[in-house]
Amino acid sequence: MLTRPTTEQVLIGIANDLRDIVAPEVDSEAVKVLLGQIDQVLRGCATRAAHETAWIHEEADSVSAITGVEVGWPASLHLDDVVAWYDTVSRVLSGALDDAFADGDTVRVADLKTLLDARSANEMRIVGALELVGRG
Amino acid sequence: MHEPNEMPLRLAAFLAEQEPDWSDIEVTSYEVMTGGYSRLLAKANVRHADGEHVLVLRGDPPLDKILIHTDRSQEWELVKVLNEHAVLTPSARYFDPHGTGLGTKALIIDFSHARSFLPYAQAGGSLQGLELKLADALVSFHRIPLDDLPADLERPVSWDAYISRRIDEWRRTADAHVEDLPIMRYMAGWLDAHRPAPVPLSLMHGDFQSANLMLTDDGEFEMLDWELASIGDPREDMGYFKAIAQIAPPDLLDDVACEAFCARYRELAGMTELQLNPAVVAYFLILGVVGTVRRLLEGGADYARGTNHLFASAFNMNSVQYGQSIWLPTTDALGPILDMLAAAAKEAS
Repeated sequence: MLTRPTTEQVLIGIANDLRDIVAPEVDSEAVKVLLGQIDQVLRGCATRAAHETAWIHEEADSVSAITGVEVGWPASLHLDDVVAWYDTVSRVLSGALDDAFADGDTVRVADLKTLLDARSANEMRIVGALELVGRG
Repeated sequence: MHEPNEMPLRLAAFLAEQEPDWSDIEVTSYEVMTGGYSRLLAKANVRHADGEHVLVLRGDPPLDKILIHTDRSQEWELVKVLNEHAVLTPSARYFDPHGTGLGTKALIIDFSHARSFLPYAQAGGSLQGLELKLADALVSFHRIPLDDLPADLERPVSWDAYISRRIDEWRRTADAHVEDLPIMRYMAGWLDAHRPAPVPLSLMHGDFQSANLMLTDDGEFEMLDWELASIGDPREDMGYFKAIAQIAPPDLLDDVACEAFCARYRELAGMTELQLNPAVVAYFLILGVVGTVRRLLEGGADYARGTNHLFASAFNMNSVQYGQSIWLPTTDALGPILDMLAAAAKEAS
């Protein structure tokens, strides 16, 4: 299997061509809006292709360490299996948060929130600089 | 409604039915508009023997292109009420409840000739004093008596019941999504633990953001797009405005202007400082976005299931993630302040 250029590189290349070559040729405002949205999503997909599986595993390790719950492993490294497993990891974290709030345990809430902050930081690496294309 | 070759004739025929006194009706231009994520929009110039009109058509898209489910009938009834109460918003003119004339269920309103606020601000237009005009605009519809609003708008039984349901909407939204959302569950727990002082329920715009504001020649805000309106806590509109302004500046409720805004609003609406202050606005920055977040996530979930093919549904997941990156640090900064306010309220009572 040829792995280079990587999926990340190819997706960034498509996004660049759409932005630099296709978009200037487009007159329709609606199509320009769509191209702007596609550009942002493609760049996010590139980052996901490069890092998503690793980030999911790293987060799962942290969830397991802080909640004390053994979260196991995905059935395989195929994306559908990884995403399904990530859902179970997320449920462990959600359950721990619900319990901490119900107990009024602010220290525990603060510990668990560090996991959410880390998750959000990865999400923003994917999103990049958000532009609400098509509004206003 | 997005067929420019077909629509001028359809619209002219529709208007002939609505306005039997008009003769020689001609749709001189018909232009599909962008600017809304959820509705079909078009602008039409209409000429007849006695005058000319510029109209905006707002219609439902096809079922597989619906991003957000809202009710055109309710929007039509509400805009008529707003017009009766002299709220600055384009007048409601016509309604096609079954799409027999216009091809889809649609309402027709006047075109606004005011300036779009966002481009005005982005071009460096003066923002001085606009936080006060924002308070005026909000109070203009927040003070409409609930009895005057369309019967179809749901009336919550109390503020407590309303706010509980609103907070729980974060949990329900998380539960309904295609994957678990721990950040949503955290937000629900945090919002529940930091409830503000109650206020009377009122009409809410539901999508009160700069993109839905126009600036008139005399410096007043005209408001557009009432499809997400409901009855709830009026402070949600303020928080929602501030939330969207983080993505699409300017923020007229920033640290400098928010206190003046709150003072003006309190004066006009008769609220106390415990009920409305910058910290409470920031609380509603989070709570106020839940309805939109739910709708965006529903769109994303439908896209993931393959029941919705609208690319904007995937794109909008960026907005949800961006929102999360704002809410989380906000809870860190805001929690201690809201705890102090709650203690002060307890002492006062």
